[in-house]
Amino acid sequence: MTYLLPAAVLFTVVIAVPLVMNIYNSFTNWTGVGPRHWAGLANYRQLLHDSEFWASMWHSLALVAAMAVVPAMLGLIVAAALFDVIAKRFGPRLASLLRACIYLPQVLPIIVAAIVWGWILDPQYGALNVALRDIGMGFLAHDLLGDPHTALLTVMAVLVWFQLGYPVVIFMAGLQRTDPALSEAAEIDGATWRQRLWLVVVPQIRPEIYVVLLTCTVASLRAFGWVYALTSGGPGVSTQVPSYYSYQSFFTNLDVGYGSAIATVMTLIIVAVSVVFLWVQRRHAE
Amino acid sequence: MPRKSAGLLIAALVALTAGLAACGSSGGGGGSPSSSSKVLKIWWYEGQGSAYQIAWDQAITDFKKQHPGVTVQFSLKSFNQMQQNASMILNSSDVPDVMEYNKGDATAGLLSKQGLLTDLTPEATKYGWDKLLGPDLQVTARYNAKGVMGSGDWYGVSDYAEYLMVYYNKTMFAKYGIQVPTTMAQLTAAMGKFVKAGITPFANAGNDYLAMQYLYEMELSKASSQDVQNYERYTGPVNFHDAAWTSAANTFQDWVKNGYIAKNSVGLTSTEAGNDFETGKNPMMLSGSWWYGTFEGSIKNFTWGTFLWPGNTLNAGSGGNLFVVPKNSANKQLAYDFINDTLKPDVQKVLANNGAVPISTSTSGVTSPLNVQLIHNFQALASDNGLAYYPDWPTPSFYNTLLAQTQDLMNGASADQVLAALQTNYNQYVSSLG
Repeated sequence: MTYLLPAAVLFTVVIAVPLVMNIYNSFTNWTGVGPRHWAGLANYRQLLHDSEFWASMWHSLALVAAMAVVPAMLGLIVAAALFDVIAKRFGPRLASLLRACIYLPQVLPIIVAAIVWGWILDPQYGALNVALRDIGMGFLAHDLLGDPHTALLTVMAVLVWFQLGYPVVIFMAGLQRTDPALSEAAEIDGATWRQRLWLVVVPQIRPEIYVVLLTCTVASLRAFGWVYALTSGGPGVSTQVPSYYSYQSFFTNLDVGYGSAIATVMTLIIVAVSVVFLWVQRRHAE
Repeated sequence: MPRKSAGLLIAALVALTAGLAACGSSGGGGGSPSSSSKVLKIWWYEGQGSAYQIAWDQAITDFKKQHPGVTVQFSLKSFNQMQQNASMILNSSDVPDVMEYNKGDATAGLLSKQGLLTDLTPEATKYGWDKLLGPDLQVTARYNAKGVMGSGDWYGVSDYAEYLMVYYNKTMFAKYGIQVPTTMAQLTAAMGKFVKAGITPFANAGNDYLAMQYLYEMELSKASSQDVQNYERYTGPVNFHDAAWTSAANTFQDWVKNGYIAKNSVGLTSTEAGNDFETGKNPMMLSGSWWYGTFEGSIKNFTWGTFLWPGNTLNAGSGGNLFVVPKNSANKQLAYDFINDTLKPDVQKVLANNGAVPISTSTSGVTSPLNVQLIHNFQALASDNGLAYYPDWPTPSFYNTLLAQTQDLMNGASADQVLAALQTNYNQYVSSLG
């Protein structure tokens, strides 16, 4: 029991108490200063009719695609290519080097990476638009983050760049423990590379895929730094996400109750997603 | 793991968590209570090198001379840090004796309403602050029981002021043969000339406070003083579909369409807009007097000047941030003395010479003609009761709302839709005030 004590203390101080306080705050009207006023379900009722909140929820789904689904699919292909093709033809060193390069964005602090992307995408001086103009393709130059039609897609593209390294590293570790004999047998039977990847390799690394999908989905639902530094949720509310909206409600709109309600809803969704993932994973493991 | 080191680890973790918890409850900071009678604790968040920091350092020097034996403990904070922890800090016993805080209902007003600040009304009379600060500047110093500015007791004192103006590039104006405009028609003609030459006349930042300030100046050109009072102090109904707001939204959108303001400035920040002016990309920028010191330091390639928004009698601006005295301050008398020092002529002169707008009307000893002009323009506004505060003040979430709505306006949303969104947010807050 004594071994559990530190964890229990930390859990209480860092997770349980703030969680309970947050849920309590979500039932109050509070500016963050002075007394809280009991508001019952008013904040949740307001959420139901708040178009900005619903827009932010849809954007969250887009971020799940950008941070979990697309990186997992791309990551699988890249990992298999590095493991199967690059390592075999050019040696494992080059494969490790490329893997490290792809993983590099994960090492950068999010805010630093986001500010640099902001510079690259700047409509006037940004490297992207300047390069397009310099090579005579100025008609493609565009204020990607300033146009509500492209802002979310641009944020998604940056997130794919950022997130890709994580599944690649996990999948490559998973590929190490797959049984090469199975792939070879399939190859002898005439299976193409794609068939071998999908039918032979993927079933073997299913646990890794679940871990990647679960952790990336949770990360995407919490995505804050990118939106904070790249767009502040704008233009308009076209890149607003729940975590940033919650922060705005808390600290700039001084509506702590409402910000807590958003945070509580997001907590419930994240817990639900995690439970579903773990349940599916366990069923497949059995 | 051996039993002994496990025990150590537990002890360390418990100590760490206990330490964290202690930090949380005390609000940080040191200072033993026994020596507090001889210590003046000052907090502010103006950065190193700013006019305010230079001037307030002077005030500290003056204060020390008058109060030998008193130790001054100064801490540089950030506004976010202060705002996010205000309640925790100010409810504790370890509070500063005097601190800078943002003016306005959502900031100083909120603290005063919760009883966290000392009522400075007796001192305002005693020290004569009520004479030094004219009626326009007193608006942001006084808050009523609901925390609404403009009437009631004194809860803070500002020793400087700020207002919006157009910064212009004299060199570029001369190159294109353009005179400083004094009417909107002249400004429009000047902008037309620049656009014809392939130059976007105004620097702007849609992802910051700049865009909403253009909109507000346009609104003020058709608004009355009563409209401003209604808007900022809830003294009467506010209709965002009235002539002034409708015309402002349409004009702002036209300016974007006509290329007077670049459409692709929608995602820019104020720093980027400032750069665009400093590098001569845009020959004009509407913004606050807080840029003055920066431009004086960084613009070397051209000469620049300022003019007030043409044709307006009302102009965005107000007293600066406040010095407030927390309710739990241990040394209120010393705090009052320090505040009074910030209003003394020598400190005011330091402010003026570093490109800030002092409260004092005197320009003697102010060396740069640019700085003299800054003060004269302000006095012209203040003596005319022309200060109209800022567009984002009426509700705590209005900054975010205005920012998002002006971005939508720049991207082609209908004026009607944008004004309706502003109206909804505004009404929601005002009805919650009761």
